[in-house]
Amino acid sequence: MAVLHAWRAARVTPLGELHTPPRMTAVLLRLTVQVVLVASLWTGLYAHTGTTAGLTRDQAVTYAVLAVLASRLRELDQYAGRDSVIQHMHYGTIVYWYLRPLPPQRYYALRALGEQLYGFAWALGGYAVALAAGVVEPPRSAAVAGVFALSLLLGQWVLYYIMLVTDQWCFWALRNNAAVMILVFAQNLLSGVYAPLWFFPDWFVTLSAFMPFQATLSVPLSLYIGRIPLSDAAGQLAIQAAWVVILALLTRFLWHRAARRVISQGG
Amino acid sequence: MSASIEVRGLSRTFHTTVRRPGFTGTLRSLVNPERVAKHAVSDITFDVSPGELLALLGPNGAGKSTTIKMLTGILTPTAGEARVAGVVPYLERERNARNIGAVFGQRTQLWWDLPVRESFSILRDIYEVPKAEHASRLKEFDDILDLSSFWDTRVRHLSLGQRVRCDLAAALLHDPPVVFLDEPTIGMDVVVKEQVREFLRHQVEQRGRTVLLTTHDMTEVERLAERVVLINHGRLVLDGSLDEIRRTFGSTWQVRATLADAHTDVVPPPGIAVLRQDGPQVVFGPDGPDAPTVHQALKAVIERYEVTGIAIDEADLEDVMRAAYVQAGAA
Repeated sequence: MAVLHAWRAARVTPLGELHTPPRMTAVLLRLTVQVVLVASLWTGLYAHTGTTAGLTRDQAVTYAVLAVLASRLRELDQYAGRDSVIQHMHYGTIVYWYLRPLPPQRYYALRALGEQLYGFAWALGGYAVALAAGVVEPPRSAAVAGVFALSLLLGQWVLYYIMLVTDQWCFWALRNNAAVMILVFAQNLLSGVYAPLWFFPDWFVTLSAFMPFQATLSVPLSLYIGRIPLSDAAGQLAIQAAWVVILALLTRFLWHRAARRVISQGG
Repeated sequence: MSASIEVRGLSRTFHTTVRRPGFTGTLRSLVNPERVAKHAVSDITFDVSPGELLALLGPNGAGKSTTIKMLTGILTPTAGEARVAGVVPYLERERNARNIGAVFGQRTQLWWDLPVRESFSILRDIYEVPKAEHASRLKEFDDILDLSSFWDTRVRHLSLGQRVRCDLAAALLHDPPVVFLDEPTIGMDVVVKEQVREFLRHQVEQRGRTVLLTTHDMTEVERLAERVVLINHGRLVLDGSLDEIRRTFGSTWQVRATLADAHTDVVPPPGIAVLRQDGPQVVFGPDGPDAPTVHQALKAVIERYEVTGIAIDEADLEDVMRAAYVQAGAA
């Protein structure tokens, strides 16, 4: 039965999306436009140069397109459905999360898993099209593909916890709009969605190494394009795993504290 | 038989920060916040027997919802203790969750973007209800609440009445022995309200569920509840039957008599006062705690005076509760 409730909770987001075709059309359009623009931009930037910041044109375009696709894995739209923490806090329906025999943290995790798998389906479809069109390069070897997959998994795990922290913030502040805006900007900047981190000054790269964002996308994508050699992969994977553990402990503590913050509204 | 809900000296105090008025006051509040304690619920004690429907009444801000939140395990009391179906709800939240169902007014627990039936299926799996049992219960609920006409519709497209009916079904699908309903019919039209009342009656009388209901709808109280607990300012004011409430707070009747002789010297019977007199028109009302019922007063007036016309105005439960709230608030 535990498998059944896990399955039901995980498919809440995909099912909600399937019931809303306009949202899916919007995702398709946005993804297509973003991939085309990003590929054109980086191709143009490399028109008169061979290698910049240790990246060739093909590596840079591959990185940028994969970054766009991977950023779709967990869309940061909190208002599409009514099953986000901010919405539940706003409507006072968060109480129901605490009235079921399924702990809120497990329900949240299952929901997020379904959401990420749904996003993964989109990213995989986009990757297949981009690969067939020759926009992105395939991984250089099976070993690179395997390490990339592992690193992407850890990166998504880190991203899950970062988003969970912003959601947990709602238990104290009721809203997390500012936190989400900062997160989206920091996530895109420090994980290399706007531009690969290799293009930033050394001090910026050093600074970002002390934050978890780099572990979400920059590390797996750099492994994919070969900017981080396989020989350095173990260390990078260890850092990603360390972020998973640190954030898991933090969010566990916050869940515990949040349970005391379920707002009692009304007499 | 032990009670389904046992509440002993239950209290809950919230600590809030007082915001001082004005710009300077706001800055001072930021630097040196003033914390105050608000006693939302103070030392409440009552029991609810298995298969009983109890109405927990009180004006807005009386502490009804806070009490329900403690009994559902969402809030931990500051003092006192509670047991629901033998479980201390705030200590064993998950175990308690299997024993209770809850509806909080217009706040839906259904999944907004999904068809209602999908919400029911999610809850079925979360509560680990066997499929056959789920199907038969759903049919039973459908017979009274007429859910099947809209259960394939997405929740966001339902009317309020449809949604609340679905929420009621969702709260009871796992067959909980105890149900908490916090103003379940608020904002609903009379037809749907009656449908919901019939459903609740069926659940209490046929299924033996224990229901704790809060509402401001006195018709609902009259039709559903035999016993009422009245709280105000977080304190229990009265625990008794509707008749007791009427006896305590409901002496607001008036007997309007037209006397045959306008010059009669009106000396009212014991426990009855003359409220107004305009020639032969005299209005009698209750006087003191030992006032007779309206029917006793009617008989006494007819026996004592020669009357050519007489009429009575008896307070309905709404008036009774208004008097109860006012008196309880003044106490």
